[in-house]
Amino acid sequence: MEKYQNEYNTTTGLEEAEKVLTFAVGEQIYGIEIPYVIEIIGIQHITELPNMPNFIKGIMNVRGKIIPVMDIRSRFGKEEIPYDDFTCIIIISVDDDSLGIIVDRVEEVINVTADDIADTPDYKSVNASKYIDYIVDMNGGIKLVLDCRILIETKDVATISED
Amino acid sequence: MSKFDPGMETMLDMYIFETNTLLEQLDEILLRTEQNNQFDDEDINEIFRIMHTIKGSSAMMGLDGLSGLAHIIEDMFYIIRENKNISTNIEHLYDLVFKSSDYFKAEMDRILSPDYDESDCSTLKGEIEEYIVQLKGGSVSDKPVHKNADKEKGYQDMGMTTVKVLFDEECKMENLRAFLLVNNIRHECEHIEYEPSDIETNADSAKEIIENGFMLHFIPTNSKEEIFKLIEETVNVESYEEIHSSHDGEQAKVDSGADTESRPAEIDKINNAITNSRAGKQSLISVNLTKLDELHDVVGEIIITESMVTSNPDLRGLDIENFDKAARQLRKLTDTLQDIVMSIRMVPLSGVFQKMNRIVRDMKIKLDKDVDLIIEGGETEVDKSIIDNLNDPLMHLIRNCMDHGIETSEERARTDKDATGKITLSARNASGEVIIVIADDGKGIDVNKVLEKAKKNNMLTKPAEEYTDKELLNLILEPGFSMKDKVTEFSGRGVGMDVVRQNIEKLGGSVNVESTLGEGTSFIVKIPLTLAIIDGMEVAVGESIFTVPISTIRESFKVKSDQIINDTGQGEMIMIRGECYPILRLYNKFNIDTQIKDLEKGILMLVETDDRAICLFVDRLIGEQQVVVKPFPSYLNKFDVKKQGISGCTIMGDGNISLIIDVINLIGTL
Repeated sequence: MEKYQNEYNTTTGLEEAEKVLTFAVGEQIYGIEIPYVIEIIGIQHITELPNMPNFIKGIMNVRGKIIPVMDIRSRFGKEEIPYDDFTCIIIISVDDDSLGIIVDRVEEVINVTADDIADTPDYKSVNASKYIDYIVDMNGGIKLVLDCRILIETKDVATISED
Repeated sequence: MSKFDPGMETMLDMYIFETNTLLEQLDEILLRTEQNNQFDDEDINEIFRIMHTIKGSSAMMGLDGLSGLAHIIEDMFYIIRENKNISTNIEHLYDLVFKSSDYFKAEMDRILSPDYDESDCSTLKGEIEEYIVQLKGGSVSDKPVHKNADKEKGYQDMGMTTVKVLFDEECKMENLRAFLLVNNIRHECEHIEYEPSDIETNADSAKEIIENGFMLHFIPTNSKEEIFKLIEETVNVESYEEIHSSHDGEQAKVDSGADTESRPAEIDKINNAITNSRAGKQSLISVNLTKLDELHDVVGEIIITESMVTSNPDLRGLDIENFDKAARQLRKLTDTLQDIVMSIRMVPLSGVFQKMNRIVRDMKIKLDKDVDLIIEGGETEVDKSIIDNLNDPLMHLIRNCMDHGIETSEERARTDKDATGKITLSARNASGEVIIVIADDGKGIDVNKVLEKAKKNNMLTKPAEEYTDKELLNLILEPGFSMKDKVTEFSGRGVGMDVVRQNIEKLGGSVNVESTLGEGTSFIVKIPLTLAIIDGMEVAVGESIFTVPISTIRESFKVKSDQIINDTGQGEMIMIRGECYPILRLYNKFNIDTQIKDLEKGILMLVETDDRAICLFVDRLIGEQQVVVKPFPSYLNKFDVKKQGISGCTIMGDGNISLIIDVINLIGTL
């Protein structure tokens, strides 16, 4: 876990304001740094793949590109809910690897500065929270900014506590 | 810190590409000439040119070591070129050049790594320098035969053709006849010089012409053949010959009198050579592969979009004759477009095959076996993406033939075989596939030994007596199987053959072994022509659409329930023409919800791989279609998506995705 500790130290040293796209999964607000986000699309037809983990919903065709789709709810061990008009797919890209993430609804884009980052030095040591890059406390809410790289590189289901 | 500026990257790419191409040419020349132990002029000039280019471009990239090495090799070949009949240790020369070629190649491989620095090649340089000294020492006595050689060389370097003209004996006033000749051809030449140069003024020059002939040096406006013709037509010219840079009697001697018949053939040959070299140089461009991939993707998109437009649901039931006409025209054009794009990506196998020559050469020396590699069908073309992945498996197979297949010369002598072993590497097209056969005439594989080994390694999955010879032979392609008791540098660790199979299967191909004890072994590799576009049959299972490659389908049919045989477990089978095939219900396999679970209501599709066949149960057939294969996003590889029996996906006309069934894997998962 020391590795993540180090990462934490470097990534939280935001020198300039970072734009973060926030979205809701249940009551919790999460964020993804804008540079990772390719686009946001409504829910669409997803082709199922056989014998995949529960959170891999399948693949979809976005203008000729095949993109795998993951449901962030089941990825974080939450109960799945039926998709509705608010359900969105956020397409992120890390090193040319694309991934669609199904979220309950997209909120807004916020400007995060170093001052907004909550001082919570210990959370990285909890294995389940390794997806969280840093925590933002602003506009009266806690927002968990995800580490897209780890999200795309690991394949296990993990739970993120909402406390 | 990288040795190169970021701005130089494109140049660096070009440099690596160019140098690698040149090195391949070099290897080819070396391998071709090594058998004869003799370079001809063209080869030496070619090597000279290759080294010169490498020297120049390396220096431009700031790679002084590489450029230095190229320079010294150039020097070496300069000496060889200038002293044609040098007698020297030619094997050593080949070793040196091969070593240098390897060094260059190794550098090219490493050059893109961020901490690249030129490795030291001073020992190699030293060796070459030593050799050069040896060359020079040995060549003193073999001074050029022609004293004018150097001068002629100079003319030829300027791109001039040199012709020696002899006039009829007793025709008198040779100098004036020569002058006439010069006037005759002057208007057809860009530039002309002659020896003796004072023919107009000095009557004594006639004597010189009688003795030495009249030397013409010219640059033709059109072709030199035209000039030759003019020379021939000039009165009193007895004969003429073109003087080449070589000094060893290979001059194209053309006699105007007696040999009129042989001359046109000779000229044709020259003409052909000229046009060939011109065509080769001017009609080729090198294109970045990613651009081709992009083009290929776009064409794929166009084909999909085209069917989206032409089979648009909005058009259903409309009487639109003109639209249909236009649509058919469009279809024709997109088909052509696709064919062209595919053909651009097709590369002949000869490049990969040539590399095998080198492996055989090196192993021949190390293993002390005498082997000829015979290459057939190198012109067979396959998709570039396949070529790139074919090198390793072929290399393994060739090594295997060299090491295990071919016997030592003594053994061969004992069994009345030709002392020189033979490995045949051949390729041919066969209905959408390319079949590559690597055959040796070695000792063959003893199936009993294979069985023994397999028993020892616990690799048998059924009782030994149930194995057919064919099955046993194919056991050698299983992981961890090695026939050799001792590990050699080249093989024997039991890795290799299974890697070969894996690599080939990754390409959608297959490997089979055939062997006759005492007579030899053949590996038969089948690979698809292209990975990118296949003919597929669309089938529906519940809501999902799957594509089954047409090449694997034997037949589709309806069944009556009384044809189904239930075995003791859950398995179902069907008897077709006396053979029993297991039935695989696709909805079960892929966990798909469907209404059609009764075998009588759906349809069975008999699919086969090389050695096994099964029946797939699907809801219904939709139709045949050419599909553009899209690989799965790399993210999904983490979840072993390919092990599930699907090899990729394709986008259908309506924008939905269809999964392509991988029959080999599907059978494997049973």
